[in-house]
Amino acid sequence: MRPSFFHHLHPPTIPAAQARWRYTLGAGGTAVFLMLVLGLTGILEAFYYSPNPQEAALSVQTITYLVPFGGLVRNLHYWSAQLLILVAGIHLLRVVFTAAYSRPRRFNYLLGLGLFILALLLDFTGYILRWDEGICYPLVTGTNLLKTIPLIGNFIYRIAIGGGEACTTALLRFYIWHIFGLTLLAVILSVWHAFRVRRDGGIAVPPPHLRTDTARISRNELVRREVLAILIVSILLILLASFFPAPIAPAMTGKPVMTENARAPWFFLWVQQMLKWGDPFAFGVLIPLILLAILALVPYIFPQPADSDIGRWFPKSNRVAQIVVIVITLTVIALTLLALVS
Amino acid sequence: MTQPSRRDFLKLLRDGFLWMSGALALGGLIRFLDFEPNPVPKTEFDLGPVEQFPLNSRTLFTDPPSIPIHTESGFSALSLVCTHLGCAVEQSADGFACPCHGSRFNVDGAVTHGPASKHLASLRIERTEENHLILHID
Repeated sequence: MRPSFFHHLHPPTIPAAQARWRYTLGAGGTAVFLMLVLGLTGILEAFYYSPNPQEAALSVQTITYLVPFGGLVRNLHYWSAQLLILVAGIHLLRVVFTAAYSRPRRFNYLLGLGLFILALLLDFTGYILRWDEGICYPLVTGTNLLKTIPLIGNFIYRIAIGGGEACTTALLRFYIWHIFGLTLLAVILSVWHAFRVRRDGGIAVPPPHLRTDTARISRNELVRREVLAILIVSILLILLASFFPAPIAPAMTGKPVMTENARAPWFFLWVQQMLKWGDPFAFGVLIPLILLAILALVPYIFPQPADSDIGRWFPKSNRVAQIVVIVITLTVIALTLLALVS
Repeated sequence: MTQPSRRDFLKLLRDGFLWMSGALALGGLIRFLDFEPNPVPKTEFDLGPVEQFPLNSRTLFTDPPSIPIHTESGFSALSLVCTHLGCAVEQSADGFACPCHGSRFNVDGAVTHGPASKHLASLRIERTEENHLILHID
């Protein structure tokens, strides 16, 4: 059989042990699929969305309630975005816990981390685009955090939102960052990330003489598994989109409405929780950046995993990295839960 | 050390030019984006005629978030923008509370509970010849 274009995107064969679900969790491939769904549904939304402070929330309502299948498109976009953060997070944890980041994949690990940050920024800017009465406080606090950065804070603030008051002027910049600036970066980094997987020798495995299992699967089998994953994720997405609609609220009326408890979007609740403790720069900028720096340095500062341990779950030789990343993950989860109950 | 060949020198020159062009373009892009197209936000607000603010009154305004206060010593105003990260504080039983990160202030604007570390700002109020109150938020 002549391989199709889609088959050609895959290596002819890959090691069977590392192609198993229980090894990859299907996370990287699922992330690619979710990004495709996001691109497609995002383009469709752009046919109706208006990045104008007076019309934005109304155009979201038009998409949601009037356009045929508009609600479905918007809900799919919303749920793909939420799932992408989870799936990308799982992918990151899998790579750390299987020592897959070790040489020569250290640089690709950084590209992946960059993509994770972009997913967070895209989720936040997309959330702001609703421009309803709920988004003003998260927008004000998020952008005021930029201002707290010494020396360059005001400059970054101007680049990000174009200056002025966030809740009256930020929409156009956030729109362009969302649909063009950040998206372009994400597309470039994704293609580079995928290219580096191939360039670095495919999925992480021990060198040939250290492998206990030499079986390989063909790309036909690999594509079959991917299609299965796509089907499962599609069903999940359609179920979520059908039964749990994306949040929608009345348009912002100039000034934020009085709310009992102004909540950040779920993926930034942990930062909001820390901000309750004091200095905005320390808790809202410095500590998140330090955590990010530790994650970025995982392949560089911790003991290198043994060659025979690459591509195995929880090997002994990278225990330190596992513990550090588990501690960071549990801290973020604990802070999020704390913010939810308070 | 061996002398660099003509070819090495030309390569260095080419790379230097490429990097410099890139840096110039990036600098231009940053300057392009670093411009405030929006009109400067208003800093003066007409609150209305003086008669609306009887002696010993505290009137809540949401735009801009503030409380003009009329006492024996004249007019003053308290900003209701939280000094922590800029949310508008809300009136509570014993003063003001911020909905974003839980800072609390007493009726005079002094911090009673963090994370805010600065008092709510005092704003300047001016009385015009037509007996209107003008609030300055700069």
